[in-house]
Amino acid sequence: MNVAITPAMVGQVIISGILAGALYAMVALGLALIYGVMRVINIAHGPLLMLGAYTTFFLYSALGLNPYLSIPVTMAVLFLVGIGLQRTLVFRVVDAPELSSLLLTFGVSIALVNLAQLAFTSDLRAVEYLTGSLPLGPFAISKTRLVAFVFAAAVTALAFLFLQRTRLGKAIRATSQHREVAMVCGIDVQRIHMLTFGLATALAAAGGALLAVIVAIQPEMGQIWTFKSFLVLVLGGAGNYPGALLGGMLLGLVEQGASLFLTTQLSEVVAYLLLVVVLLVRPTGLLGGRQT
Amino acid sequence: MATPVLEIDGLSKRFGGVTAVDRVSLSLEPGRIYGLIGPNGSGKTTLFNCITGIERCQAGRVSFNGERIDGLKPYEIARKGIGRTFQVIRVFPELSALENLLVVTRGGLAEAEARALELLRFVKLEGLRNEYAGNLSYGQQKLVEFVRVLMRDPTLILLDEPAAGVNRTLLNDLLDAVRRLRDRGKTVLLVEHDMKVVMGLCETVFVLDHGEKIAEGEPGVIQTDERVIEAYFGR
Amino acid sequence: MVLAVYPAFGTGYGVRAMLQIFMWIALAGSWNLISGLTGYVSFGHVAFFGAGAYTGAILIAKAGWPWLSAALAGGVGACAVALVIGYPCLRLKGPYFAIAMLGLNEVLRALVSYFEGLTGGGSGLSLPTLHATVPIYYAMAGTAATVTLLTYLIITSRFGLRLMTIREDELAAEAMGIDTARHKLYAFLLSAVGPGIAGALAARDQGYIEPMSVFPLATTITMIVMVLFGGKGTVWGPVLGAVVLFVSQEFVWARFPYVHQLLFGAIIVAVVLLMPRGVLGLLQIKYRLPRTI
Repeated sequence: MNVAITPAMVGQVIISGILAGALYAMVALGLALIYGVMRVINIAHGPLLMLGAYTTFFLYSALGLNPYLSIPVTMAVLFLVGIGLQRTLVFRVVDAPELSSLLLTFGVSIALVNLAQLAFTSDLRAVEYLTGSLPLGPFAISKTRLVAFVFAAAVTALAFLFLQRTRLGKAIRATSQHREVAMVCGIDVQRIHMLTFGLATALAAAGGALLAVIVAIQPEMGQIWTFKSFLVLVLGGAGNYPGALLGGMLLGLVEQGASLFLTTQLSEVVAYLLLVVVLLVRPTGLLGGRQT
Repeated sequence: MATPVLEIDGLSKRFGGVTAVDRVSLSLEPGRIYGLIGPNGSGKTTLFNCITGIERCQAGRVSFNGERIDGLKPYEIARKGIGRTFQVIRVFPELSALENLLVVTRGGLAEAEARALELLRFVKLEGLRNEYAGNLSYGQQKLVEFVRVLMRDPTLILLDEPAAGVNRTLLNDLLDAVRRLRDRGKTVLLVEHDMKVVMGLCETVFVLDHGEKIAEGEPGVIQTDERVIEAYFGR
Repeated sequence: MVLAVYPAFGTGYGVRAMLQIFMWIALAGSWNLISGLTGYVSFGHVAFFGAGAYTGAILIAKAGWPWLSAALAGGVGACAVALVIGYPCLRLKGPYFAIAMLGLNEVLRALVSYFEGLTGGGSGLSLPTLHATVPIYYAMAGTAATVTLLTYLIITSRFGLRLMTIREDELAAEAMGIDTARHKLYAFLLSAVGPGIAGALAARDQGYIEPMSVFPLATTITMIVMVLFGGKGTVWGPVLGAVVLFVSQEFVWARFPYVHQLLFGAIIVAVVLLMPRGVLGLLQIKYRLPRTI
């Protein structure tokens, strides 16, 4: 494999990696919240992202809403969906052995994907809104990816501000650290669980909304995102919220880097191997989080 | 002097910013009963976890019968002859009482079964041997956990709060059993909050506070040690 | 006995259906060995089915092996894949293992496409035509029976008890001297053989395989539903699940592919919430049936 790697290529990789990384980080943050607060591994996270993409698509095609301006709407809709899921199903397995929550969310994810197949068919949809790239020196920056980056970074920053500064956010952090203590301190843990799940779903939905402009929308699009979000968490340290940022960036960079040498198919294999290696070497992730 | 059964030298364990075990050193002679006491959170269970390999320690050494065991996997350490019970009972709930005992053995099934039945008889649970361990009462589960440890005939037995939640009669039987183990040359180290048990049973007592060993000696002496009193009742 | 002579008087459709049932019994029963007994949920188990299918198919198509030997080789091939994956992954604790297995499907599909020369890539691999449905019926039945027998032997042994302690309390198991990593690996390897052989047999029966047909997530989902419904950790649970769900699938849902998958998802949710031990597990507890049920 004789590829001459120019600095320009490396630069492009770094830029593309960072652009992708913010998106990964935002979606993974949702997953981290669910795991941190409820110790539930939400396999349905990807399908929820997919629903977000479809919501944006329909808002755009039926109502002509600007796909970027409609993000808050999409997030709100999925926020409610998330709360609904938590209130009816997930709350029953929060204290059960992990096996139960794994299987439950697995079942939910299958149900969601197939519901989508039935409702929307597997025809590919797309939101044609922005195309092309911005030239920046020797680099080409895809417009949609740039906008996605801006939004994702903004949403993630807001999420962190929320967690750090607001009372509700602090309650969420307290609950994820020590549920019994939080209860004793008068925090309504049930409500926190509901809100956290809703918030996490909203984050996934935002990811879906941003992706709606970038990739083809179809019911199976979320599956790989579930896996990648886990990968981000593992890279950054499960239960460690800032770790999602680091993990997201790392994944973005590694993926783009791998695509220099390998076809896209194999870059998925790289992601997978990365997961296994990191888990073996440091089961608590690179930043060290809580041990499961 | 015989080789100490267990020798701990400068053991330290940190969790993030919290030092749970702080340069603890102690030595256990064979055929004696030792106590490990200290206020809540002083690091007693963590120390047990370090000895049995469940936690990896940042510093220090643990030697069992002269052989270093720090860094070994929990099952390797267990196979060398160290058995332990847990603060929160950890029987296998969907296995029967008998199966709980059998599952830890290897080799001859017939002998294992005979031994298991004998031990169950000893704690008067023979009639419940086919009952799911999860269905037994708290005290019964505790007994199952206790005899399960004995199935492999360990040299060193670590008991984490054996008296907690156990009624008086049962407790006396248990303590008798511990004494008989000692008489057979076993070494026992127990963590306990019940001072009467400690004073009545242990020959030497170690006291931990905030991860540090602050006293070591005979129960009577420890009771009047100033540092110990401070640790429990504050300044 | 009836099953043994069925091909003599059954319809072509009937024989195929029974063949499928046997295949699912072998698959579900094998999944039960790892996930039902040790509690380590394998979301990527179809990987072994596919690995066996490709191993068998390549041996038949490119090396002219007879299909029976190729099927056994399929089992071996699947075991090899299990070893490569299991050795690192089983060191991970339960949830991490599940995540790792989730990604497995995608990876394998990508790998198969990539190694086009050998596997025929996306366009698939054709096998020389052979009308051997009846012998394959027997082979598949044999596989199903073997898996069920294996489950029985394991559950009644101390090895099986030790596997169950991993599910009950892995930490305590370790503290009692059980090498949980090694036990998990053994269970994992054993659970790969059935799907491997079944995969190769299925490939031979179809006469043609391609990545999509042998690595679909749907297969794993179906395995899981069957075991959860019938009773995980029991001997006959997977058999019950396989029969009931396959029959329902054939007569009720096959016409509506997405509906039936959707129903599977719903069944999984329902079983987890209402009947976590499955039908046989529930009966076991209620009527104090022996574990060998």
